[in-house]
Amino acid sequence: MDFFKTLAIAASGLRAQSGRMRIISENIANADSTPSSPGADPYRRKIPTFEAEFDRALDVNVVELGKVQTDTSSFRLKYEPGHPSADANGNVKYPNVNPLLEMTDMREAQRSYEANINVITATRRMIQRTIDILKA
Amino acid sequence: MGITDVPILSMLRTRLQWGQERTRVLAENIANSDTPNFQARDLAPLKFDETAQRAPSLVSNVSLVRTEDGHIAGTMGSGSGFESKTNGNYDVRPTGNAVNLEQEMMKVAANQMDYQAVTAIYTRSLSLFKTALGKR
Repeated sequence: MDFFKTLAIAASGLRAQSGRMRIISENIANADSTPSSPGADPYRRKIPTFEAEFDRALDVNVVELGKVQTDTSSFRLKYEPGHPSADANGNVKYPNVNPLLEMTDMREAQRSYEANINVITATRRMIQRTIDILKA
Repeated sequence: MGITDVPILSMLRTRLQWGQERTRVLAENIANSDTPNFQARDLAPLKFDETAQRAPSLVSNVSLVRTEDGHIAGTMGSGSGFESKTNGNYDVRPTGNAVNLEQEMMKVAANQMDYQAVTAIYTRSLSLFKTALGKR
């Protein structure tokens, strides 16, 4: 039945978006993770990617969370000579995480998640309507 | 004459299948609303002047022979009878994604309402037979 394919597609969307939320939360949680040794690199921001993937069993296009990429932009430098991770010049590298960017990303993930939930609700209602034919 | 040969019921059934198929396509669009280079698709509108002509032969094909062949080639849906088309007239994001989430949600809601209308008519048609049988 096609409706179950629809539910599977929407579920793949939910899975992809929750995976995206996981990566965003990882970024936000590590926004101030300084390097473990002096002069080393701190946490690098991660970027989730999405791929349309053909599910052979279902014969439909589902969405999958692709390979997680890293943000190659430069780190924030702060002058903190007393910091245990400071390099020879007294600078500490902070992660290239921009909380504002992460928040916008989070909103977008939330919105997409809700859209998929709505598809599931609509599909369930349609299945219910079909079953209601029997009751009449 | 089987109950499936009744034109109104077979037409309504075709419409229900179309609705199912459309939900699937719309779910694909919404699940892939963040996938790069993904184009939104939609089903071509159902034209009843064509399907009405096709419907009698389609119904008479459903015989014992057909069922022995297995259900995969089967009678219902699986997208063979309905054509999907891409609508390229909407804005494309820098990632190459061309899914308008709001528009897709509107389509899902409209599709659900149409589906409810069709199931309601189906129920009414069945009660018509019950009246003819003298049950009410």
